[in-house]
Amino acid sequence: MDAEFFQLLATGIAVGSIISLSAVGLTLTYGILRLANFAHGDLMTLGAYFALVFNLSGVNIWLSIGLGAGLTIVIALITEKLLWSPMRDRHATSTTLIIISIGLALFLRNGIILIWGAANQRYDLPVARALDIFGVKVPQNRLIVLILAILVIGGLHYLLQNTKIGKAMRAVADNVDLARISGINVEQVVIWTWIIAAGLTAIGGGMYGLITAVRPVMGWFLILPMFASVILGGIGNPYGAIAGAFVIGIAQEVSTYHNWVSPEYKLGVALLIMILVLLIRPQGIFRGTL
Amino acid sequence: MQGYIVFLVIFTAIYAVFGLGLNLQWGYTGLINFGHVAFMVLGAYTTVLLSLRGVPLIVATMVGAGVAALLGLLIGFATLRLRTDYLAIVTIGVSELLRLIALNEQWLTRGTFGIQRFPLPLANFIPTMSVRILMMAVLTLIVGMGYWRWWKWLRRQVKDIPSEALLKSAPTALGYVASLGILVFGIGAIAKHLKSSNAIPDWGLGLFLVAAFAIVIVSYHILTKRVSTKLSAWSSGLLLVCHFLLAALGLWIFGVSASAIYDYDQNPAKNGLMFVSVVTLALIFWGLERLVESPWGRILKAIREDEEVAKALGKNVFWYKLQSLMLGGAIAGIAGALYAWQLTTVFPKNFEPLVTFNAWTIVVLGGAGNNTGTLLGAAIFWAYEAITRFILEDIIPLNESQLNAFRIMVIGLLLMGLMVWRPQGILGKKEELTLGR
Repeated sequence: MDAEFFQLLATGIAVGSIISLSAVGLTLTYGILRLANFAHGDLMTLGAYFALVFNLSGVNIWLSIGLGAGLTIVIALITEKLLWSPMRDRHATSTTLIIISIGLALFLRNGIILIWGAANQRYDLPVARALDIFGVKVPQNRLIVLILAILVIGGLHYLLQNTKIGKAMRAVADNVDLARISGINVEQVVIWTWIIAAGLTAIGGGMYGLITAVRPVMGWFLILPMFASVILGGIGNPYGAIAGAFVIGIAQEVSTYHNWVSPEYKLGVALLIMILVLLIRPQGIFRGTL
Repeated sequence: MQGYIVFLVIFTAIYAVFGLGLNLQWGYTGLINFGHVAFMVLGAYTTVLLSLRGVPLIVATMVGAGVAALLGLLIGFATLRLRTDYLAIVTIGVSELLRLIALNEQWLTRGTFGIQRFPLPLANFIPTMSVRILMMAVLTLIVGMGYWRWWKWLRRQVKDIPSEALLKSAPTALGYVASLGILVFGIGAIAKHLKSSNAIPDWGLGLFLVAAFAIVIVSYHILTKRVSTKLSAWSSGLLLVCHFLLAALGLWIFGVSASAIYDYDQNPAKNGLMFVSVVTLALIFWGLERLVESPWGRILKAIREDEEVAKALGKNVFWYKLQSLMLGGAIAGIAGALYAWQLTTVFPKNFEPLVTFNAWTIVVLGGAGNNTGTLLGAAIFWAYEAITRFILEDIIPLNESQLNAFRIMVIGLLLMGLMVWRPQGILGKKEELTLGR
């Protein structure tokens, strides 16, 4: 337990908070819309790139991430209208939806390469000194990322527990037919699910771009940790997904302590945790809706 | 030209073998394997590494297939008892992990440098005239059997339609196809001229291309509707014409391939590999066709349609799924060996997830649960690759990396469009697949 350990822990918390934002989005679409969306990571990339466009044209970075999230929501709603809603009306099987989501992922990712190129890009940021917290160097960005993630998650908690739409979302996640019978407007819940899922994911993408770089495959490479967090926390359970994301994020980083696992195989840690959960407790650690 | 056709035939055969493995898993059993390339990576590296240590190629390939099947066993034990979407997530993760291992375990795989100068099949083989004639005879036999099956199928399709009606609609259909071809060719030629002379800006050229193709599509859509109400045997006539054109194209490719075998010593490594991969494809296709028409294959289809029914009939669903996953994996492993021989250098970069999704496009396009469809899908996929790589470059105002991205975007769009409008693909049977109804 030395400085290196705490350094890794700090990085893990920052990564975990980013994964948690996007994993919440994934778990909501998975649980409420019954859609295992493999294009979710690319939605995240899209958010980062929209934020990049605003940022490079001179807008403040935090505002850019917000505006980028707005545009990503628009794209997500377009896919909902053109793809997901018609397919749900036809009672398409979940496997059909999964294959469509892979097609969408290829389309979005390569559309990003077509427009913005394949090279790594960076946000235009003021240089900030790393903070020293009990000997652990924490770049300010990571701290802000963590605080922002907590704020967003707090807002989500308020929305789910105290607002009418949040309660309706939880009801639909539990049982669509029962929710419809009790007078809940399911279509509206679907729209709100997309707004929250795409918004949170895009914010996650922008923050991921802050601590690493903005590149076309950034979201795609996070899809496995995201699914691992969702399964770990129980599909459809946003709180579970947040907990799962922190577990995965911290485990990935801390596993490289003293080269227990070489850093190249961080992805393997997420996969291993996911397979262990599938073998021991496939319904997830917390109660899911599926 | 001959060299390029041989190159295309090899790649088509490899992707067809690869796709046949996926078709067994997804098309017949309904397993969503998003990490098909993982089996290929194992087959490729195992074959190459063993053959570098002096193991005969055929033994090395068999071991590679065995290792790939073993991976299927491992993945299957972890996930096949669970919901189907878990398999998709785990396989995609495993394929990425294997690629990372190939990238980072340099003592074994030499990482990004790649493995070069490994033994290739039939590369140092100098066939005598009689051996070459024998090889050409084998190729002719395979192609002849294919055409015979094709002819039988076509006969069944037009059996109930009176021949006068067919004779009446066929010329119209020929005119329809020919005019469409000439139009598309003309638009391409104009765009090529515009691009090379830089007469209009890039956005103008893009706009011209989009508008021209939109007009062609809409007008031919309207034309099809009007003609199909007038001519009784329209669709059968069109089917016949298209198949005869394709058959002629196929015969031409066969002629080029056969002459490549005749000139074997011009490029022994590629010509030999072509022979090996076509024979492998024919054997695997024949074996799979026998298997899926056996009781074993019918149980797989039952599992795809309704697992509970198969279970109620006393079948061990888990065991059958495992067999399907392992056999499909072994076939992908063999495809991996062929892939390594074709590339002559194996880099981890050759095994990105995109390879898996290309195979998915092939299977979905050809028709899930139809092995002939997979062959057709592979042929269409490589025709698309060849056309876009050499023709679009001169037409579309994009640079090389943009063009590459554009081509993959079209594949993504195709995958989405197929699943939305024609989930059974070209040859799949709609009434046989559940597809959400």
